[in-house]
Amino acid sequence: MSFLSPLFFLGLVTLAVPVIIHMIQRERKEVIEFPSLMFIRKVPFRSFRRQRIRNWFLLILRCLAVALLLAAFARPFFRVPALAAIAGGAREVVVLLDRSYSMGYGDRWDRAKSAALAAIDDLGPEDVATTIVFDSGAAAGPRSTTDRVSLSAFLRDAELGSGTTRYGPALKLAEGVFESSDLPRLEAVLVSDFQRSGVESATGVRFPAGTILTPIPIADSQTENVSVVGVLFDREYFSGRERVSVTARLTNRGDDAVASLPVTLEIDGRELERLTADVPARGSATVTFSPVTMDDRPVAGAVRTREDNLATDDVFYFVASPGQVVNVLVVGNERDATEDALYVSRALAIGTSPAFAVETVGLDALSVESMTGRHVVVLNDTRPPMGPEAAALEQFVREGGGLLVVSGERSAWAAGGPDLLPGVVGSPVDRTGRGGSLGFVDYSHPVFELFSAPRSGDVRSARFFRYRPLEPVDSAVVLARFDDGNPALVERRIGEGRVLFWASTLDNFWNDLALKPVYLPFLHRVVEHLAEYAPPTPWFSAGQVLDLSEQRGLLAGAGLTEADLIAISPSGEQVPVSQGARSGFLTVAEQGFYEIRDARGGATFSLAVNVDLSESDLTTVDPDELAASLTGRLAAQPTEGGAAGVGREFSPTDLERRQDAWWYLLVGAFGLFVAETVVSNRLSRTVVQVD
Amino acid sequence: MADTTSNVVGARFVDPKVLARIGSLELLARTVVDGFINGLHKAPYLGVSVNFAEHRGYMPGDDIRFIDWRVFARTDRFYVKQFEADTNANFSVIFDISRSMSFGSKGISKLDYGRYLAACLTYFCTKQRDRVGLVTFDEDIVTRVPPSAKHLDVILHELDRIEAGRPGSLAGPLFKATEFFKRRGVIVVISDFYHEPSQVLDALKPLRYAGNDVIVFHVLDPAEVDFPYDAASSFEDLETGRKIPVVPEKLREQYRQLVQEHITALTQQCSENRIDYALFNTATPLDHALFKFLAMRHKMTKSR
Repeated sequence: MSFLSPLFFLGLVTLAVPVIIHMIQRERKEVIEFPSLMFIRKVPFRSFRRQRIRNWFLLILRCLAVALLLAAFARPFFRVPALAAIAGGAREVVVLLDRSYSMGYGDRWDRAKSAALAAIDDLGPEDVATTIVFDSGAAAGPRSTTDRVSLSAFLRDAELGSGTTRYGPALKLAEGVFESSDLPRLEAVLVSDFQRSGVESATGVRFPAGTILTPIPIADSQTENVSVVGVLFDREYFSGRERVSVTARLTNRGDDAVASLPVTLEIDGRELERLTADVPARGSATVTFSPVTMDDRPVAGAVRTREDNLATDDVFYFVASPGQVVNVLVVGNERDATEDALYVSRALAIGTSPAFAVETVGLDALSVESMTGRHVVVLNDTRPPMGPEAAALEQFVREGGGLLVVSGERSAWAAGGPDLLPGVVGSPVDRTGRGGSLGFVDYSHPVFELFSAPRSGDVRSARFFRYRPLEPVDSAVVLARFDDGNPALVERRIGEGRVLFWASTLDNFWNDLALKPVYLPFLHRVVEHLAEYAPPTPWFSAGQVLDLSEQRGLLAGAGLTEADLIAISPSGEQVPVSQGARSGFLTVAEQGFYEIRDARGGATFSLAVNVDLSESDLTTVDPDELAASLTGRLAAQPTEGGAAGVGREFSPTDLERRQDAWWYLLVGAFGLFVAETVVSNRLSRTVVQVD
Repeated sequence: MADTTSNVVGARFVDPKVLARIGSLELLARTVVDGFINGLHKAPYLGVSVNFAEHRGYMPGDDIRFIDWRVFARTDRFYVKQFEADTNANFSVIFDISRSMSFGSKGISKLDYGRYLAACLTYFCTKQRDRVGLVTFDEDIVTRVPPSAKHLDVILHELDRIEAGRPGSLAGPLFKATEFFKRRGVIVVISDFYHEPSQVLDALKPLRYAGNDVIVFHVLDPAEVDFPYDAASSFEDLETGRKIPVVPEKLREQYRQLVQEHITALTQQCSENRIDYALFNTATPLDHALFKFLAMRHKMTKSR
């Protein structure tokens, strides 16, 4: 007999406690001095003895009950080798079929299905089997059944996926099947191309002792595979129109160089250009197509190369969106607005994604109309607007616009102005000598996140000679402070929009920030943040789960902001997206274009989905290596009658679970406790009567 | 009980209350005492010397034959001549002061109780002009005060200072004590008699066979008789130091029975050997015990 949790027997020590206490108490009992023990000694000895035996009996009864209780907790089990014989030698077989897109190489998929079906055919009459197909995820078919028809049907219906190879989920599923099995022989049949890239996910999976893993490798000894691994967009504006040049990158994972490989660019399903490329063995090459003139809507495109044995990665889909423009209105002093905004306008004139359309006006020219269509308004060293303009500006911010308030000599925020500032602004503070610098900077904020990495620009290098102190309100967030603790950049949310207060100027009068390299990216980030700019994603990876609410740009561009959406997969399947686009999630599993459309018809837009190109690396791993990590021994060789059968070595946990001896011990302990209660009650009653 | 204000050494043993109770029984007491003393005198001491001892004032009831007329002639008062011959019986107390006698469960130990008994009896006997003596013993003779009419103070002093110390024995010391009593007399043995009845009698017989009138006062504590203990405890023999774990509630009945058997055996065997036996429980008031004994003694004397 063995025990699963023998440490519980340490509890037996507690049995000695009452005995020890009893003995100690006896020793410590008050000694009564008596003139003579003559008569006490004459009392017949058997009366003591009988009494002791009765007490010992109770004590033993109690100790036995506690010991049984502890034994039950220790979970005993018997190592009975005959158990396997009782089960009749039936097998629990799990057939795992790899359906990652690399299995589409040549005729691998057909061979793999045939091998898996053959494993099902090899099942004995008492064998039960489970089928699992997997790529990056795993799906189980009929579980632990002898119904071969359903097992075979599940395998025949399995289709090649777009995912990468990940053994982990499938092997975990198989491990669960084995652990819940009572059969004496456990066998796994793994049909796969054994790509090295998928092995890492199997770390930590361990089949029960005695499990046999039979790998059936489908991989080819010689492989050649050229894939399109990505595209780059180079945007330029010509004659007021945006033109995009597409550059495709090709990778050859074969051992032979490929010459004159045709590469075509398709836009909206039409081939626009065909080029050729020479790709060296185990190398890469790029192909740049002629610029394509964009209109105001996204275009769906694809770069294709000649189909080889693995056709899935020979095409790369993308959606090229027109470059977005952030409209910025810079409001300056009535007289010198343009001159004051020189640094700001010059900095924002640089950049294509997004491009900034900057218009500079004086405060007297600020009107409701001038704010229409703007993403961001910059109050550059000027008084606050008053009257209807002030109300319009507040309305502009509440509806989602961004406002940047830049301090300066003329930026005193007089009473009666709109309530937009994140605090109360004071009079300018002069820093003598070398001036001050930024002390605290919140690098987790999107404005400064760009500078958080080393060698990404030091925003603290700028010297500040003058700035306006600000007493922030409770709702304001200080993003940066000067080295004397005064806030430098403060954010406040108002309605749907944001207000940023910059305590110094954005030119080189109060500081030298405009002369530093960080000035341009800093100003770009500030404006992008205020405009809530999010660059459109040109493509997604298969298996990704998309939160459509994050694709605001795409949805807004297609006029689908408030629509109920339906997604149509590349294979034509309709995938309902949960009610309301903002809360909708979509799993993109297939390669190609997903079409997102309004459920009521009308506007659509496309999402490009490409396969994970790590799967294109067809390097294999030795099946024995995987088998050893899973079972602790080398893989079994496939045989005619199934894998070589070896008696299963039940783990102590399995044996204990099957025998459930603890239950009987628990009942025994309970019975003893009842007996103890009855006996002790009777004894005490007898004593009372005698007394 | 003790009169701590008294200047007389050992006077605390003569408890005024005890004596008052006995004094109130004057008629009976006189009969008892006279009969007790005289009865003791009758057979063994006839013809003993009649030396003059002292005079005392005439009391109504005194025999007029003993009036000293010469003194009357000189003083015109009646005096009665007292002769030693009338009062010179020996009265000795053999007192067990072994360690077991120090036991006392309710304030008064057996040793104290025995002290009071011995003091009272000695006092009475002195009052009756007897010669009084004392022998204390444990495993051997400890002190000896030879019988004398003038030894009351010595005896009381001796009783005052004795302490229970050593384990006790009976046969050896009593045999030695037999040698001390050249003259026959009344011997009171005070002990707790933790010996087999046959051993007790074997020890007493030499005294009895020497012609003495032996009276046995068996002093026991109530706890020794009733065994009132409840908790399981370790009982230690006061004399041997041996310990025995005991569950009293399981032992009590048998113990009581054994003690009663012991007392019965002692009573019976003493009676068979014409030894007076009396059991004194230290919870019993001393005067009750004395009265009870004197009454019993009187009856026995009359029956002779």
